Amino acid sequence: MVQSVKRKQGWHLLQCLGKVFSWRASLSWVLEGLGGEANLKPENVEIHIIDDNFFLKWNSSSESVRNVTFSADYQILGTDNWKKLPGCQNTTSTNCNFSSVELKNVFEKIELRIRAEEGNNTSIWYEVEPFVPFLEAQIGPPDVHLEAEDKAIILSISPPGTEDSIMWATDRLNFRYSVVIWKNSSSLEERTETVFPEDKIYKLSPEITYCLKVKAELPLQSRVGYYSPVYCINTTERHNVPSPENIQINADNQVFVLKWDYPYENTTFRAQWLRAFFKKIPGKHSGKWKQILNCENVTTTRCVFPRNAFPSGIYYVRVQASNGNGTSFWSEEKKFYIEMKTVIFPPVISLKSITDDSLHVSVGASEESENTSVNQLYPLIYEVIFWENTSNAERKVLEKRTEFTFLDLKPLTVYCVKARALIENDRRNKSSSFSDTVCEKTKPGDTSKTWLKAGICTALFSIPVVIYVVRLFLRCVNYVFFPSSKPPSSVDEYFSDQPLKNLLLSTSEEQTERCFIIENASIITEIEETNEIDEVHKKYNSQTSQDSGNYSNEDENSGSKISEEFLQQDSV
Amino acid sequence: MTYRCLLQMVLLLCFSTTALSMNYSLLRFQQRKSVAVCQKLLRQLPSTPQHCLEVRMDFQVPEEIKQAQQFRKEDAVLVIYEMLQQIFSILTRDFSSTGWSETIIEDLLVELHGQMNHLEPIQKEIMLKKNCTTGDMTVLHLKKYYFNLGQYLKSMEYNSCAWTVVRVQMLMNFSFLKSLTGYLHD
Repeated sequence: MVQSVKRKQGWHLLQCLGKVFSWRASLSWVLEGLGGEANLKPENVEIHIIDDNFFLKWNSSSESVRNVTFSADYQILGTDNWKKLPGCQNTTSTNCNFSSVELKNVFEKIELRIRAEEGNNTSIWYEVEPFVPFLEAQIGPPDVHLEAEDKAIILSISPPGTEDSIMWATDRLNFRYSVVIWKNSSSLEERTETVFPEDKIYKLSPEITYCLKVKAELPLQSRVGYYSPVYCINTTERHNVPSPENIQINADNQVFVLKWDYPYENTTFRAQWLRAFFKKIPGKHSGKWKQILNCENVTTTRCVFPRNAFPSGIYYVRVQASNGNGTSFWSEEKKFYIEMKTVIFPPVISLKSITDDSLHVSVGASEESENTSVNQLYPLIYEVIFWENTSNAERKVLEKRTEFTFLDLKPLTVYCVKARALIENDRRNKSSSFSDTVCEKTKPGDTSKTWLKAGICTALFSIPVVIYVVRLFLRCVNYVFFPSSKPPSSVDEYFSDQPLKNLLLSTSEEQTERCFIIENASIITEIEETNEIDEVHKKYNSQTSQDSGNYSNEDENSGSKISEEFLQQDSV
Repeated sequence: MTYRCLLQMVLLLCFSTTALSMNYSLLRFQQRKSVAVCQKLLRQLPSTPQHCLEVRMDFQVPEEIKQAQQFRKEDAVLVIYEMLQQIFSILTRDFSSTGWSETIIEDLLVELHGQMNHLEPIQKEIMLKKNCTTGDMTVLHLKKYYFNLGQYLKSMEYNSCAWTVVRVQMLMNFSFLKSLTGYLHD
């Protein structure tokens, strides 16, 4: 009995333990399972884009080799439409190629997310930072085709990506290519050159193996691509007809002069030109080179062609020689800017003195420049040099206007002006030669004006003074030569009764006195009677009637004397 | 004392602003002339057949072009350069179906190329100094727009209908370029 109980207890204990263990086992399994999910997610997800090839790379967090697969989605930022990323569905590796994704364009921001899957368990999404494919893309290696001459290699470079490339569709023509070239024998002598898609590398030696590699760049976006594989080629043996060298183009009045060097005589040359923009376009444009008309089959090392054969722009020029032995390779292509050869004619100055302290300057175009279109091509400014004729101190002024004035000058001084025309703010500092010097004298100055004004004022003020002086003079003359009958002032007191006026104006009025002719004594008494009114008057009157100039102070005596004279006269 | 200093400072400011603006005045002059020449040349191309224009296409013209906005002169240079580059690129494609004069197209290409040449040194200067400008986003939007134009031409196999539509777009672009040159005078 006891044994069965014991057996039962033992069994129960075992069962309990078993349950505990199994519970623990399941717990650990559960725990393990939970931990496994947390470790399942992808890590360090990276995007690599080269040209039109899109790659996604990541690390798996779980280290155990299990059936973990990864899937990715994408969508355009802003939309809420996750789509499956082609090529990245249920992949067991830690990278995928989703180049077949059909993006409408590569300029919109894309969102990517990726997660791990194992059986029914999926990890949380790992979301990649949104990106613009065009900005993330790297420039792949370009395709290069080579052709050798004796001293040059012709390059034909195709832009990175295919012709149908979506990534570089907008920038195909913007690529520039950097070439590193070296002699196969010694890689130390490296040379780097930047070339166009169709271009040549010059200054090489004949019969040498050269190796080169090319990378594409988008210089204006500061992006550099991967190098192409290395290509090697042998230059040919020296050609029996050498190419012309040292091509130069100069402007001379209405023509351009093309010159080159050539070591041999008895050779004919021809020159061709190409519009520079063709160089930007990939593909052969050998058909676009055109013959310069005056430079076909010339036997001298120069040719002249009219300016209007080339409207303004940028061109390339090349020259080829031919003689009895054959035709040379084309010379180096010389780039030729028409605008740099433009001649700016000197302006024509005219100077005018307006006031005493300023000079007016007029700048005009010369007749020759009227015909050319330089003024229409560029805005012109004028550098005007201005100095006093006697001194050497020059004043330099930059003027945009064609009519302006110099102020604060000295009157009655000769000033000289010369000017030249410049292209406004041109980095090449292109200018015409100086115009002829023109001199002009300023008008008489303000000081003489003030003298004039002073003179006038003094004249005005001096007139009354002069008149006064003249009158004084005339009075003197009158006094000397034409004495007036004005009585002396001491006599004035006797005429205090009468107004002085009457006395002074006595000459105007003839004073009449009563005069009687004395015939007998009776009359005398009458006279005396009539004069009784005023004894003084009587005496004076008789005196004045006879002697105007003689005055006598002796009243009584004279008076009686005169009366006596009367009597005597009458009696006789 | 302070007055004299103030005067000198004012003068310095005036001269410095003129010095900076002089950098752009020649460019503005050339740009204006160039755009005028291009518009004239484009108008010489026949615009037929008319019915092609009845189809409304959405090329996703950037908002910045549709509605005039303020541009700093550096951004204006970048935008102008991008547009010239892209128009140049489109005109190098196959237009044989249109019967357009090769001379006119070549003249257009010459003009565009010449103007890009003038812009390049200033463009380089700006790229060296720039950090991140709003011009970048505009340039990206422009690239999308021109990509759409190019894809449209390709999908229509460069027929004259497609070219007619593209020509109208280019005329609109030049109008915008003309207004952009106004920002080159600060």
